Amino acid sequence: MKTDIDLGILYSRSGTYSALSEALWLGAMEAIEVVNMAPEIGFAFRPVERDPGGDVQRYAPLCADILASTRARHIIGCVTSSSRKEVIPALDKAGATLWYNVPYEGFETSARVVYSHACTNQNILPILSWAMREYGTAAFLIGSNYIWGWETCRFARHQVEAAGGKVFGERFLPLGDEDVAGLIKEIEVTRPRFILNSLVGASSYAFLRAYRALGARDAYFLPETCPVLSCNLTEAELPLLGAAAEGLIAVGPSFSDQVQLAGRGSSLELTAYRSVLTLAAVLSDMSVEEQAGPFDDFIAEHGANYGIDPATHHCTLDVKIAQVRNGTFDVLADWRDIRPDPYMTRPMRHPQLDGPRLSVVRA
Amino acid sequence: MMPGIDITGLDGAQAIVLHPDHERLQLLLRQLRAIGLSVETAWPDLPSAAIQANVVLYDVDLGHDEQFPWAPGEAPMPMIALVGSEAPGRLEWASRIGADALLMKPLGAEGVFAALLVARQAFELRRSLAAEIASLRQRLSARQTVVKAVSILARKAVSQDAAYDQLRQMAMAWQITIEAAAVQVIERAQKPGGLRDCS
Repeated sequence: MKTDIDLGILYSRSGTYSALSEALWLGAMEAIEVVNMAPEIGFAFRPVERDPGGDVQRYAPLCADILASTRARHIIGCVTSSSRKEVIPALDKAGATLWYNVPYEGFETSARVVYSHACTNQNILPILSWAMREYGTAAFLIGSNYIWGWETCRFARHQVEAAGGKVFGERFLPLGDEDVAGLIKEIEVTRPRFILNSLVGASSYAFLRAYRALGARDAYFLPETCPVLSCNLTEAELPLLGAAAEGLIAVGPSFSDQVQLAGRGSSLELTAYRSVLTLAAVLSDMSVEEQAGPFDDFIAEHGANYGIDPATHHCTLDVKIAQVRNGTFDVLADWRDIRPDPYMTRPMRHPQLDGPRLSVVRA
Repeated sequence: MMPGIDITGLDGAQAIVLHPDHERLQLLLRQLRAIGLSVETAWPDLPSAAIQANVVLYDVDLGHDEQFPWAPGEAPMPMIALVGSEAPGRLEWASRIGADALLMKPLGAEGVFAALLVARQAFELRRSLAAEIASLRQRLSARQTVVKAVSILARKAVSQDAAYDQLRQMAMAWQITIEAAAVQVIERAQKPGGLRDCS
């Protein structure tokens, strides 16, 4: 007979970035089912769900509610960096842990969070170095007006300028804003070599559709000569983009090698799935005393056995750069087992561009 | 122009935390290690080997001058003050010891990365200003030496310009700088008949 363990699920399944949340939610739920069916695991997860509806103000109260009203000490959740930062005080108070399964900008190592998806040296760093080599060093940076957009663009500006390149423009749109005409105009006038897109949700979709229309008017803005790069585009958003996704280039720990329906098979889904299984493995391995003690103490001692860096709570991941072609991602470059460096202080962990230039990109 | 903040180079940098044992101390140490530093603690005294450290974080609440193996304000690395009490006397001491950045208590993870970057930036700026001041001082005093040497030579020369030209030719003949030649001229002028060699 399995004992029940409460597990918090804190995803916004409605609101501007619901497509991402949905993929994460599916991955987590599928893994919960796997755990609950496995006879060798002595417990079953009982999901405790709360939906903040994409409103950043609702994350902290709902997180506190899960921790106060149930016995959950682990929460699978959050998409935006703002929401993650919102819930950390509540986690601190309860000694609980958030499993954060989304790529983010780095420069954080809370003892209350396990960062399972890519951080700075696993997303923005490699895609930028690669793009500057393949397309040239004149960049145009766009992002949503919150910490992910700001920090990704700040980092990109620093990298581009350090490489002797130029930033032709850096523009931010409020979360959810779909008025992209000004942006498109500016890109059309400045003619950069590539665009780094850190817009999220509706703003991103509106921009990508308008940019595709620009490419139809002026062939310079086709993916062959001036592609759009993203650190957060996955299969989960392809159905929403349709044809506008063709030629987009993304970085991530995994891409699905076949077309899947309804945005399935993304690294978001896979990461949330793995996080739940990892948690199940950790809880199974913990002694009674260890279960009574702080979770981060256990990670500090044994995290490496589960692919979690004990010092930073980030994960060792593969890094892949892929382009959307005929509705699926084609991998153009990849690195195996890249250890995390969220503060960008450990150059030994940075993926190096030692392979030949990929002429296949222009095929 | 101020250089941008450079993040690289913190990997493997050595931090010494001068603070008495405390239940929250581990939170600070954990964060320093997460950023990539190797960390040691010391209390009450900084060992003399601390001179090798890349950054020192020191307690202001219980700190005093004698803990440091160097004079106040002469730390050879960036210094971060760990401030609990904001009593003006304590802050004055923190500043006199040479705080390049502050971290407010309670000890924890917040602000550690920011303090490291700001402290290093402030320390590098202070060090480059000090080096610039030293080199300007040296050039200023060398200029006075040249003026003095020219006025010595001018006693025999037709004009100041001719005397300066003479000094310049001496420097070329001796294959030394004008400033060094000026020092020679002044030294020889102090010996009776010493200037005969110069003409």
